[in-house]
Amino acid sequence: MSKRIKVSDMGREGDPLVEIRSQDLMPIPGISANALQEPLSKGLTENQKRELECSLDGFVAIGIPRPKSQQEEEALVKKFLEGLKKLFEKENNWTFLQPLVHSMEYCVKCQLCSESCPAYVASGRKEIYRPTFRPELLRRLINKYIKGQGTFLRKVTRSDIELNFTLIARLAELAYRCTLCRRCTQVCPLGVDNALVSREIRKLFSQELGIAPREIHEQGTVQQLKVGSTTGMTPPALHDIVAFVEEEIKEKTGRDIKIPIDKKNADVLLLHNAGEFMSWPENIEAFAILFDAANISWTLSSEVAGYDAVNYGVWYDDVQMARVAVKHAEAAKNLHVKKINVGECGHAHKAFIVVADRVLTGDLNIPRESVFPLLEDLVMSGKIRLDPGRNNFPVTLHDPCNIVRLMGIAEPQRRILRKICPQFMEMEPHGVDNYCCGGGSGFAIMNSRNFKDWKVHVSGRMKLKQILEAFKDVLDPTIKKYVCAPCSNCKGQIRDLIDVYHLGQDHNIRYGGLVELVVNAMADIEKPFIEWESF
Amino acid sequence: MRFVLAALTYFGYLFIITMYSVKVVKYLRLPMHLRSEVYPVIPGDKLSKEKTYYENLEWWTKLRQQNKLRRLWFLFSDYLLLAEYFRRDRGYWLVVYPWHIGFIFIITFHILSFFGALFEWFGVSVAPNSSSLFGIGLYYVSLATGVISFVSGLFGSIGVLINRLVRSDLRDYASPQTYFNYLFLLMVFLSGLLVWIFADPTFSEYREFWKGLIAFNPINVGTLATVHILLFAFLLIYLPFTRSLHYITRLFGFLLIRWDDEPSLPGSLLERKVEEALKQKLNWQGPHIQSGSTWRDAALEEAPRGRNGV
Repeated sequence: MSKRIKVSDMGREGDPLVEIRSQDLMPIPGISANALQEPLSKGLTENQKRELECSLDGFVAIGIPRPKSQQEEEALVKKFLEGLKKLFEKENNWTFLQPLVHSMEYCVKCQLCSESCPAYVASGRKEIYRPTFRPELLRRLINKYIKGQGTFLRKVTRSDIELNFTLIARLAELAYRCTLCRRCTQVCPLGVDNALVSREIRKLFSQELGIAPREIHEQGTVQQLKVGSTTGMTPPALHDIVAFVEEEIKEKTGRDIKIPIDKKNADVLLLHNAGEFMSWPENIEAFAILFDAANISWTLSSEVAGYDAVNYGVWYDDVQMARVAVKHAEAAKNLHVKKINVGECGHAHKAFIVVADRVLTGDLNIPRESVFPLLEDLVMSGKIRLDPGRNNFPVTLHDPCNIVRLMGIAEPQRRILRKICPQFMEMEPHGVDNYCCGGGSGFAIMNSRNFKDWKVHVSGRMKLKQILEAFKDVLDPTIKKYVCAPCSNCKGQIRDLIDVYHLGQDHNIRYGGLVELVVNAMADIEKPFIEWESF
Repeated sequence: MRFVLAALTYFGYLFIITMYSVKVVKYLRLPMHLRSEVYPVIPGDKLSKEKTYYENLEWWTKLRQQNKLRRLWFLFSDYLLLAEYFRRDRGYWLVVYPWHIGFIFIITFHILSFFGALFEWFGVSVAPNSSSLFGIGLYYVSLATGVISFVSGLFGSIGVLINRLVRSDLRDYASPQTYFNYLFLLMVFLSGLLVWIFADPTFSEYREFWKGLIAFNPINVGTLATVHILLFAFLLIYLPFTRSLHYITRLFGFLLIRWDDEPSLPGSLLERKVEEALKQKLNWQGPHIQSGSTWRDAALEEAPRGRNGV
């Protein structure tokens, strides 16, 4: 296991290429590595080990079944190569061809990006997680199988690599060991985007071979397009939950607020991640209380997909991404709203406001913006009476990658926190230089088999370290602390980190969104909105 | 030999210009893509007033600030700084920086040599005792550029070679071609340095060679100069087969992809381009995709049909 893994080892059949051991992981002060149960990649049944490809690192994100015959393997290899070819065709991949070509052709493999990758560093620098590893493998495959380099050229470019099921399955899994946070992209002096290459590999597998993690595809985009939400929530269920939310608001604040659904001609269509309805209804409540107090003309939609902002397609499939974006825009168009505000969901920000910008045209090209500038306007304008003293506990801010690094929105949320949280303290690094929570690109919702262990112990490790370091002077459990994570998926990942590492019990660290803090500071609400006991 | 040298030099320049042009045109003709920006627009630039327009309430109603000149200044100035390497990997910067400086300066040196020869051809002496201030200036600038290039490039070539061999993270991703590239450049820089030390300390012989090229009357040069000129001509022919175009594509990677930042506003030219792109057919075979349909139809497949847009 101590042997250094090289790109050429990817097709070598047998044991996992790497084993994730707790003693190799990046140390975190206050967290004992010995407390973790070995091996970290536990949790697979013997049957799963036998039937599914799990020889990358012992973890399974997708679970590709092993082929039952030589013909089956050959068919898979053939299909993979067809997909690889399509990635470089104008018609089939106009969507990302230029960025992909740029990254494949002009990376000089200087490894400057490696140290910026939280998964690579936190894993104890396992070679397979290095940002340049996947692109280099792809490059060699392209040289041999797409460009058709002869024997001599293959030797010269080190592209004598054998394509088999093991390599293909490991590559598919490896594409799901990158959170697409794009810190590596940010530091590349040549503009190379190795995270995009991971995303394009995912796309090849989905769009050509129909291979993607179940949580993202079948239970994700497919379910969303069919029933309305990746959570399975149907339009009637939405109405029930909203009724429940209204009751909760009444109970907490004494206010009778009717949450508008399908109100025509409203100024704002608010698009929540449906995860909020299911797991964090206080976020929905807080927006309703605030918008009601500010007298905003707004509505939710109950049209299929119109009440779930998520767009998992942005992580793995252009077609699914476009379909979901169209559904969102249709919902807004049918209600004749003036604009769409994306709630506290990072990837929905990027998908709907930025990426889908070149998908939606004509009457679907409805103005779309982040909810943060709107929140900032409400907080700063004096329309709402706020008492920062109500938030007088340590607060740190987790920056969702999609909102800061990939969209540049870094300040409105900070200006809000500086105004309403007297003990606001930054993580380091923060803003556009932030670290991913570890749940990015779908990992937050991928919990099947043993993948949760990987995302909590490896990809989320850097965030865990940052949270503990931000609160290092106030770790005393008698002091309540709040990690503000204005993104549904980030909240899911931080919830898992807090749970697995006992940060709640040991350090009294809690988490939640941004708007909850705003409402908690509202001076004319009698009781504090944030209920610490309920965490 | 003089005809071989001249022919190879002519061909080398013609070849590299043609090949680079073809590659650049090919790059620029790649289709418009979905947006894929990364912030900040200009790293660490406190003077820039740029921020994302998405921080503004109802951003589409406000003027978007894009300081294109500052962006270009950042990109061009970084050719002479390699700031990210300095910030993040100082040890590697110590070798990769002189290597790049050697490369940039050797190109500059050849351009200056061409102009020096051109001036001499027109009767302006390029020498320390020239009657023309311009001739004196060009003489010293050419001399300095050449010497800096050869010394810096040689040091850098040896340094990057050693780094690639010693550091496993670099070695594992290197190929025989990588080492050949390093050695080839090393030979070019070394031969240039030897010419300067042992044969042509003022580079006047090299200017004479260039004069011969301009006048289509090639001349013979000494053995060391011959070796250097041959190596440099071969380098020009070889460069298009390497990743060297990153000197240029880097600009596109930043300006057209990372800092693209151009929203598709209703009724804009960009929106029309999007509409055109969506008319293309896709041939993906995934079970959820209707192969052969247009992107527009594929996107609408799960959405209500018969409506406008997309």
